[in-house]
Formats: sequence, structure tokens, C-alpha cells
Amino acid sequence: MNPLPPSIILQAQTLHKSFDSIHAVNGVSLSIKRGEIYGLLGPNGAGKSTMLHLISTLLQPDKGKIIIENLSPTKAPAAIKMLMGVVPQEIALYEDLSARENLAFWGGLYRVQPDLLRQQIDKTLELVGLKERQNDPLRTYSGGMKRRINIAAALLHNPKILLMDEPTVGVDPQSRNHVFEVIEQLQRQGMTILYTTHYMEEAERLCERIGIMDNGRIIAEGTVEELKSQFAIENILSLQLNAKQEYVVSLLNDLGIGCKYITEKKSLQIPTRDIRHTLCQILPILSKQEIAISRIDTQTADLEHVFLQLTGKRLRDQ
Amino acid sequence: MIFHLFRKDLLLFLKDKKSIVLTFLLPIILISLFAYAFGGLGAKSSVSPLDLIVVDQDRTPLAKELIRALDSNANVQVIPMHLPAARASILRGKNTAALILPKGWSQALETGDTLPPEIIYDQARKAEVSMLMPTLTGIYFSTISRITIPKSITLFLDKNYPNLPADIKNSIIQTPIIPPSSPQEKSNQFKMTSVVGVAHSSHLGLIQAIAGTAIMMLLFSVAALGTSLLEEEEKGTMNRLLMAPFSSTLILYSKMLFTFFIAVIQLIIMFVFAWLAVGLDVPSHLVSTFLMIVVTALAISSFGIFLAAVSSTRQQAQSLSTLIILIMSAVGGSMIPLFIMPPIMKKIAICSVNYWGIQGFYDIFWRNLSLWDILPRMSVLLIIGISMTTLSIFLFTRRMSRRR
Repeated sequence: MNPLPPSIILQAQTLHKSFDSIHAVNGVSLSIKRGEIYGLLGPNGAGKSTMLHLISTLLQPDKGKIIIENLSPTKAPAAIKMLMGVVPQEIALYEDLSARENLAFWGGLYRVQPDLLRQQIDKTLELVGLKERQNDPLRTYSGGMKRRINIAAALLHNPKILLMDEPTVGVDPQSRNHVFEVIEQLQRQGMTILYTTHYMEEAERLCERIGIMDNGRIIAEGTVEELKSQFAIENILSLQLNAKQEYVVSLLNDLGIGCKYITEKKSLQIPTRDIRHTLCQILPILSKQEIAISRIDTQTADLEHVFLQLTGKRLRDQ
Repeated sequence: MIFHLFRKDLLLFLKDKKSIVLTFLLPIILISLFAYAFGGLGAKSSVSPLDLIVVDQDRTPLAKELIRALDSNANVQVIPMHLPAARASILRGKNTAALILPKGWSQALETGDTLPPEIIYDQARKAEVSMLMPTLTGIYFSTISRITIPKSITLFLDKNYPNLPADIKNSIIQTPIIPPSSPQEKSNQFKMTSVVGVAHSSHLGLIQAIAGTAIMMLLFSVAALGTSLLEEEEKGTMNRLLMAPFSSTLILYSKMLFTFFIAVIQLIIMFVFAWLAVGLDVPSHLVSTFLMIVVTALAISSFGIFLAAVSSTRQQAQSLSTLIILIMSAVGGSMIPLFIMPPIMKKIAICSVNYWGIQGFYDIFWRNLSLWDILPRMSVLLIIGISMTTLSIFLFTRRMSRRR
């Protein structure tokens, strides 16, 4: 086994995993840099959770290999497990126990010394903002609070890598924000995070690099900006004008500004990488022609568009 | 809408083949069991013979004729034995009763002296003895009266009325003699001796109730604990446990340990209660009782874990546990005392944990056997516990590796 470059903490090499005739993971390779948040973005059934289960050693790959901190899960599973914290998609906690009792149990499984564990529990409860509720049974918590304890339970042994499987599913916007803050703080502390989600907003906000998954494959990878530029994704500037649309279209096209009139929306649509620059270009022309603008709309390009362009389908079912 | 919802439930049910089998097979099995236990299936079924040890110390032609007559009866199966072996067999609960024909018995009959045959029996199996007595006394009196009564009358007449004319003497001898007719009167002709449970006769029903109920209830609670393993799978905590740095079999061991611990505590509480509330003599058998509790708890805990290992859903485990517990309790003596069951059921009973547990507690509190004598029963429970745990670990490991 060749050692990984020092900057790489985790590497997956052409992983394959099938369940009967379904190829859940079909030749996925990825490298995660030390201290980064890497996002696996894709619709339900894309293979994100299977990837995470393979990395967490819960599943064994049919083919391919995983190297984490130069260790192989097949050769040193216990050591690998000690390096990782896993936040499962389900709230995998005991509802009848208090948050503190839950954390003590899960931390104890990683052989954290009792004194250190007590400190770690205090620290993580503070991190997730639930210290005041620590002795209440978990069944009295809201969904968002349970999610935060679900994250806390994975942090008690100070893992080097945190695997998070859709940690905000079913969470209200306020709690979701709280979860994001926790993740950002963990990253500031130097933790490497592998984050799976089908919410492109989350991937855009949190992840430095994103692997877009579909049908068990990573179909694109890079930073948000890289992905947008790689697939020539442009923003859309929409204008409603009090003039003959055909005239304006030919006027702008003659000036080298591509645009088209969308009859259903009764608006002129101009694809552009830079909305502000395009507006500055167009407004003087229209003003000179005494064409008034009754409405301006902008539609910013996002990963949803990247995914749409790559697969012809949306990230989430509408 | 109701039809739509009903259709969904029906579809889910039909997809669970194990549940279908359990739902429909359970009542059939139970009905068959109870029907057989309480009188045999079908009108044509024959009555199984009751075993009777015969100790022939008399060794006369009359004694041999009586034994032959008993052996030829379809309701009795004669087992010849010497007295010490007969006594030990009844003490250990292997046989119900022994008929002892003492030396000089037939001579006493001829001379009119009193030397009644003795029946030694296990008082815990009084019902079986009661079923045996009508046949035994019937054969006994028909045998001895045909041979001994004319002789006795002749001797009596010759001794007391030597001058009686021959024709009158013959008519007296040929007059049919009516043997004692009431069961009580017949039984009085035997010396009845209970060799088991004499010192604790008031505890017979109590031991049955405590041991039988305790084991059945323990099976139910252990089954519920065993299914907590499946609950872990359903709630996702199992995956989280599997991602922690230890072997997956430890999860099963920990469940086994917890179930065993609870089972031991539950049995201890039940027997302490029986001691304090109803006077079961636990302090005199402290070591035996504790060891029997431990091995019974082990065997029953392994059953709970086995259930979890073979079931893939909690619903399956619950149906399966109900089925197995009811069957084991019915055939093992928790619901119906074993002594009223037909012999075939007694043979089937050895397949149930209940049987070994209940008999073990009988050995301690009823038969007053020493720890050494109880060890074989304890060993059986230990073997059941160890083998079922081993099998459960194999099944669980296989399931976990298939998941991966």
C-alpha cells in the first residue's frame, strides 16, 4: 500500500458495492484533504449513504480500497474506527436516556477515560448548545435538538474525521442553522468532515469541495465555483419591457448580448456570468432608446443547475 | 379509503411469509397439543399403558402368576426390579409406583395371616397412582381369590368343623366369594407408602406452581429482552454500535449477559417470595436452588437470544416467541402437570426447557435429592444454554456478515 500524500487524510480507490443487481456504488474514487469539508451531493438513492457506510467500515466493498491515515479498514478496522466519528442519518440514540447518559454510553464505547469523557461531554453539550437540557430524557427533545445530540455522540472521542450522513434531514430552519454553526466550528478546530446531503444549499454553504453523485458514480467534482464554470452555468437576468420585444432582442443581439424572449413568462431572458456587469451594459442602451423596464428578476445559477445539466433531472423530487 | 388502507395492510402481511405461517400454524399446533394432552387425538386412539415396577421378593408360583396377569393387561406395563433400584427410580421420578410382593406373601394368603403387598409411590404423581389402582386391584384380587380363597376356606373348615359333611363343605367352597368392591376397600388391602415428598407434602402444589409459573414467565420476559436486539436494528442504534471499535459478537454477548442477569434476578425474587410468603424451604437447599436458578436462567436466556438471532423483525420474533413459549410450557409441565399427560407427551416434554427446570426444582424441594443427584439435570440445562448460545452467535455473525 503506497502511503498517502500528507495533505490527504482519506482516499477511496474505485470502490464498488452492489446489493443483488443494484450497483449502489459503481467505481467511485475520491480523496479528502486534511481539515476540509467534502460534500457528497446527490439525490436519494445516488449512493451517498452506501459510500459513507463503506468508509465507516459498516459495509465492505466488493472491489476497490479505502485508505484512511495510511491504514486499511480490512487490516486495522478498530484503529480506523477510532479515527472516525459517524453521525448516522437516523437519530441513533436511546430515547429513554438523557442526553448526558446517551453521550456517556456512546463515548464509553470508544474507551474514553471517565474523567476525560466527563469533560468531553460538557464540551460537546456546550458546542451543540444543549447543556441546560442534558439531564432531560431524549424523548422530550425536539427533532432538531435530537439531531444535535446525534452529532455530539460522534465527537466524544475527538475523531480526526467526521462522517455526517444527511445530518439535517427533517430539521426546522432554525435548528439547521445551529447544526451548520456546529459544523463550521468543528472545521475551525481542524476536523475533516465528509458530509452527504441532497440539499444543494447546504453543500454550497458548508463544503469546500463537492462530489456530485448519481447512480452510484461521482459525475463531477470540485469547488462550487469550479463546478459552475466547468459546466458553463450562467445566471439568468429577466426583464419585462414596455416595448416591442422583437425589436429589443435584435437590438441586443446586434450588440453581442445574447438573449431570447420567453412568451409564457412575457419576459426577456439574458444568460450571463455577471448580472451586474450585464445590467450596466444594457441599461444605458435601453435608456437611449427610451425603453422603460417594468420589472427586473434575477436567477442565480447554483448546483441544482449543475446537476440538472449533468443528469437532466433535479436533485430533489418536486 | 378504508379498503385502500386495508389493502396496504394485507399486502404487508402477505409479504411476510414467516408471519403467515406463525399466524395460521400456531392455533393448529396448540389445539393439537391440548387435545392430545387432555385425552388423545381422535376417538380411536388407544390408551398408553401405565408403568408399574414389580419387586418379587416372594418368588412363588402365585407371585409369578400375578405378575404375568398384570403384564398381560393392556393398561399396565410391568417393570421387574429389585427393591433398592425400584426405590431409587421412584425417588428420581423415573417411575410412578412399585408393587412389592414380600417374602412369605403367598403363604400368608394361604394361612390367612396378614402380610399385605406394599405399594411405594411418588406422592407428586398421585393422579397416576389413582389411575393405576383400579387395574392393579382388579387383577390382584381376581388372581388371588381364584387360587387362595378356596384353599383358605377348606383349611378353615377342616380346622374348625372337621365333622362337616363333604357335600355341605363343597357347596360352601363353591359359593362365589365377593371380593372387596369399593376402591377404598380394595386399596386397604395394600400397604401404601409414599417414598417421595413425605417431609414436605404440603409443598407439592406449591412447587409445581412456583417452578412452572416462574419458568413460563421468565420465558416471556426473556423473549421480550431478546427482541431488544431487533429494536436496535430497527431504530438504527445497531448500525452505530457496529461502527464502534469492537467485534459485532460482543453486542450479542452483552445482550445475553443482560438477559441472563435479569433472568437470575427474576428467579431469585420469585423463590425468595415463595420462601417468605408461602414457606417454600429455600434456606435448606440454598446452594442447589441457586445453582438450579443459574442454569435455568442460562438456558432460558439463550432461548431469548436465539429468537433474536433467527428473526429478522420484531413482529416475527414476537410471533415466534409466543408459539415456542406456549408449546414449551404446555408440553414441559408449566401449564399442565406432567403426571396427567399421556406417556408420549412425557417423552416429548424432555425437548422443553420447562421440563428440565421444573423437574430440577422438584428434585430439590420435593424429592430432597442431593446436589450430586441433581447435577445431571443441571448439566442438561447447561448444555441447552451453551449450545443455543453458540448457535445464536453463529446465526447472528452470519447475518451481520451478510449485511456487509
